[in-house]
Amino acid sequence: MIEALSHISLTHYLIVSAALFVIGLVGFLVRRNMIIMFLCTELMFQAAAIAMVAFSRFSLDVSGQVFVIFILTVAAAEAALALGLIVLLYRRRETLNSEAWSEMRES
Amino acid sequence: MDPKLLYFACVLGAAAVYLALRPGKRGVRIAGSLLGLGVIAWMLLATPQLLSVMGGKPALAEGAARPGLMFAAFSLIAIAAAVRMITHDRPVYSALYFVLVVLSSAGLFLLLQAEFMAFALVIVYAGAILITYMFVIMLAQQAPSTDHTVGEAEYDVNPREPGIACGVGFILLAVLSNMAYGGVPQLKTADVPAAQRQAWQAMNLMSRDVEEMVADLMPGAKPAAGATIESAPGGAFITVRREGEAFDTRLPLPPEKLPSNVQQVGLDLVAKFPVSLELAGVILLMAMFGAVVLARKQIELGEDEIREAAGMRKLGFHAEESAEARASAPGGAR
Amino acid sequence: MTTALAAETLVAGSSWAGWILWLPLLSLALCGVCAAMKVRSKLPAWITVACLGLSFVVTLSLYMGYQPGQHQTIHLFRWLNLHWTSAQGEGSFIANFALYVDSLTLLWMLFVTGLGTLIALYASEYMEHDVGKGYTRFFAGMSVFLFAMSSLVMADNLVMLYLGWEGVGFASYWLIGYFYQKPSAVAAAKKAFIMNRIGDLGLALAIYFIWHAFGTVEYAQLFAILDSHNYSHEKAGWTIDAIPYLLMLGAFGKSAQLPLYVWLPDAMEGPTPVSALIHAATMVTAGVYLIARMYPMMLLDAAALPTVAWIGTLTALLAATIGMAQYDIKRIMAYSTVSQLGYMFAGLGVMTSVGGCYHVFTHAFFKAVLFLTCGAIMHGFAGQLDLRRISGLRHMNGWKIVAYTMLVGCLCLAGFPFTSGFFSKDMILAEAFVTHGPGFQWIGWILLFTAGLTAYYTFRVWFRVCAGPSHFEMGDEHHGDDDHDHGHNAHDHAHGGGRGHDQPHVPRLAINSVLMIIAIGAILAAFAGGWVERLILDSSAAAGVPGHAETAHGGAGEVAAHGTFLGMDPHKAMYWVSAFVGIVGILIAWRLHLANRKAADALRARLLSNPATRWLPTAMEHKWYVDEFYHAIIVLPMWIIGYICSLIDRYIVDWLLVDGTARTPKFLGRAFQPLQNGIVQSYAVSMAGGAALAVVLIVVIMPHMKQWLDALMGGGG
Repeated sequence: MIEALSHISLTHYLIVSAALFVIGLVGFLVRRNMIIMFLCTELMFQAAAIAMVAFSRFSLDVSGQVFVIFILTVAAAEAALALGLIVLLYRRRETLNSEAWSEMRES
Repeated sequence: MDPKLLYFACVLGAAAVYLALRPGKRGVRIAGSLLGLGVIAWMLLATPQLLSVMGGKPALAEGAARPGLMFAAFSLIAIAAAVRMITHDRPVYSALYFVLVVLSSAGLFLLLQAEFMAFALVIVYAGAILITYMFVIMLAQQAPSTDHTVGEAEYDVNPREPGIACGVGFILLAVLSNMAYGGVPQLKTADVPAAQRQAWQAMNLMSRDVEEMVADLMPGAKPAAGATIESAPGGAFITVRREGEAFDTRLPLPPEKLPSNVQQVGLDLVAKFPVSLELAGVILLMAMFGAVVLARKQIELGEDEIREAAGMRKLGFHAEESAEARASAPGGAR
Repeated sequence: MTTALAAETLVAGSSWAGWILWLPLLSLALCGVCAAMKVRSKLPAWITVACLGLSFVVTLSLYMGYQPGQHQTIHLFRWLNLHWTSAQGEGSFIANFALYVDSLTLLWMLFVTGLGTLIALYASEYMEHDVGKGYTRFFAGMSVFLFAMSSLVMADNLVMLYLGWEGVGFASYWLIGYFYQKPSAVAAAKKAFIMNRIGDLGLALAIYFIWHAFGTVEYAQLFAILDSHNYSHEKAGWTIDAIPYLLMLGAFGKSAQLPLYVWLPDAMEGPTPVSALIHAATMVTAGVYLIARMYPMMLLDAAALPTVAWIGTLTALLAATIGMAQYDIKRIMAYSTVSQLGYMFAGLGVMTSVGGCYHVFTHAFFKAVLFLTCGAIMHGFAGQLDLRRISGLRHMNGWKIVAYTMLVGCLCLAGFPFTSGFFSKDMILAEAFVTHGPGFQWIGWILLFTAGLTAYYTFRVWFRVCAGPSHFEMGDEHHGDDDHDHGHNAHDHAHGGGRGHDQPHVPRLAINSVLMIIAIGAILAAFAGGWVERLILDSSAAAGVPGHAETAHGGAGEVAAHGTFLGMDPHKAMYWVSAFVGIVGILIAWRLHLANRKAADALRARLLSNPATRWLPTAMEHKWYVDEFYHAIIVLPMWIIGYICSLIDRYIVDWLLVDGTARTPKFLGRAFQPLQNGIVQSYAVSMAGGAALAVVLIVVIMPHMKQWLDALMGGGG
């Protein structure tokens, strides 16, 4: 087992990234709490970041990590605004259940 | 071993997550979690054989560290924390598990020799974003009432269509892992010497760091006037002049003195992607504006006031009043 | 033999003869105007009588201008005039609106227009109870009928004849169904029209075959071609032989012979003037006219005319037996018409077109009289037509004219010596024995026997209704079939007898005058034999008929060619024999229906009780079950097919196809509705699922698709 683990390759990191991404996707589709839904999207960002850094290391090019910085930036901005909106929505319906917003008409 | 076992592993993983999601007995959930962990561990362990069978070839660049156990630990913790995050009843705990995920992936970054990213991740994500999430979670919790004690809300406990979601997700995982193992044949292993050359080239832009490095290597030496680091097949060197000497010496630069990750990232950020940097700043500015706007006190406008503000007539059952209003304000801006 | 035809020359006559046709049309238009203006008087009747009278006057002047041996063609306007060139050369189809006036035409037109005018006058009083309701409609129908009948008789080509043929069928339907609120009347009208249709099919096919074989449908050319044998039998093949039979089929449909006669008794549902005019004197003789006109055509096949003769004979016998057992006097007269029409066809069939046409002429008069008197009885006794319920009419006040004109008619019908019917029937009977043909002797004996039956049932009617003790029961119709407010009690009518529904309604001037005129005509027709003969022999109906002069002499050396009647010359012997048979029939009727009325019932009871003869009265009363037979083999299958089709329509076309097409989108919509539930996550699931599928397809399946397909094909193929 130690030998198996002694040759960590790009594939390992990609598997981890894929698994994290899929778990994030499943969480997004499954949870009803709006905040947790957004948290799962953050998880998906995370997975993408891992993949990108792995590739950057694999090809010895720093641009991948630079891009991860930008991902971080965008994630932060998006989180801020999303949370603000969630709070507004919570005030309207007094619940965080995403199914409260399922009427297909203006409310 | 061939793809079919991979797919079978994905199916098992799906089942595992599904079991973990059901709001049932604790034993079931734990069993599911353990099963999932086992699957991932197997996938990671079986990677070499899978690679050889499915034709992938990528290995990390030569000279990289081979941190076997550390990698296993970090990755398993990350995945376990992620699963716990999506299955936990309480939102606060989900956020906390996410913090754990972030820390684990920071560890992975460290293993990948991306120190700056690791710390940036911890500072920005765990330190800022997740704290914001926690505040909002606590803000949006329902107050406890007589018939509703503090506990999990119904919408937190019951997942929504776990079966389909797991199925869809793990189909994707199967495909992704297929690609990862099957590999892209054109993916060429990086050329280490060329990368090193580029790195030395980049260092040239940082003259003060170069002076420091030279002073560090050879005390009392300074780079010769107009000298830059040059890379040659044998290594890199720089022409320096020692104090008290009248001639230049070639100073070979060892690989340990390559610019660090922070320096490289910083250089790239400013030298190669300045516009993106500025745009990132703009994005953050916009986010700040948006947050301020959203956080304003909302006044509940009545329907009539909204229509008035929009310059439209009032509704029908107010016709008498509006007729009077119009009669009294004939030259209105309508 | 062909001298009559060869002597004809075609002269273009003046077109004012067209007024014979335009006057009924004018009457129709004016009746339409009356209907639109809701006229409530007898004006439509006077309009019709005036126009028909004028038409008769024009016919008379046409007759005056007629020279023997001259056949006029009067061209009115171009109608169908088609010419073309084809691979076989030039072709043409010419059928103009033109009149062909020869003596046969004139004979027919005289009694058609004459009787038409008189019956219109009769109807002006008969239909007075419908003034304001259907009165105008009735006279419009009569005008249509006369236009159609005129164009039928005076046509110059077969297509115009067919126009008139269809027109009289339509007018007959119109008028039989005059009392359209009665379901039986409507059913009778339909029956008449449909059975006529069957015959019309034969006629239409015949016209087509004639055109195909001879290249023309105009009489003048046709007769010329037939005369000079200028046609090729091989080119036309079997169609030429079929022509006479198809013509026959048309004639039998229109003139109510076997097997298409069942509509005529039912047609008595129409008002009596209709029955008198259409179903006694004119429309039903159209078939006879057709055969007479197309006599040269009938000779194309040797077996055609004998077939006509036999069918006519059998019809005559059958109808006479049915007539003997009916109680409704109008129906008896209807069967009598069928029977006499059989005589006419038999006459045509045994090569005496003179006899057949003379019988048409005389029959028109005396049958019209009989029907009109029956109508007067019906009119007066509120629809009572059962001969068991009325008796002793000639003793009642105001009914004498009716009774005695009826006597005249009955005498003619029965063939009492020296009446018109006697002479005309005689000609036919004699010729049956004279001419050689398959079984013509039998025809003669059967016709003779039928003459006896005719005399019997005719005088059964007269002795029951007009003679004997006076007694009557009123019928249950109230003067026609609309229950309008009578108001009779408030009126002051100029006839005797009590008023109200319980007293008979005595006929007045219009009815009585018409009855008398026609009765006189019936008497005078006895002297018209020679005149008719001259007319017929001068026309196309004379083809193949030996001239009268030849047969009168017996011709030395030709005796062997003539048949004989029990060894005697038929012409002379027949006078005595038929007179004898007629008088015997009258005597039997007197015995059973006047002297001792109960004897008839006793006879009937005895026949019924005896099992060997029980079937006879029952079958005769039930018209030999012919109607029931037709119902079973034709009407019922049609009903069943129609019902099946209605089921197919309702369940397959309606429910399955139409409703199914409507249900499918609804069903599909319902099926897909749960996809749209407004929940973002479910949409996300669909999107992710779709993306997953797409990725699987592209990454996993597509690269291997080719080898999988090859494996499948290679494995399977």
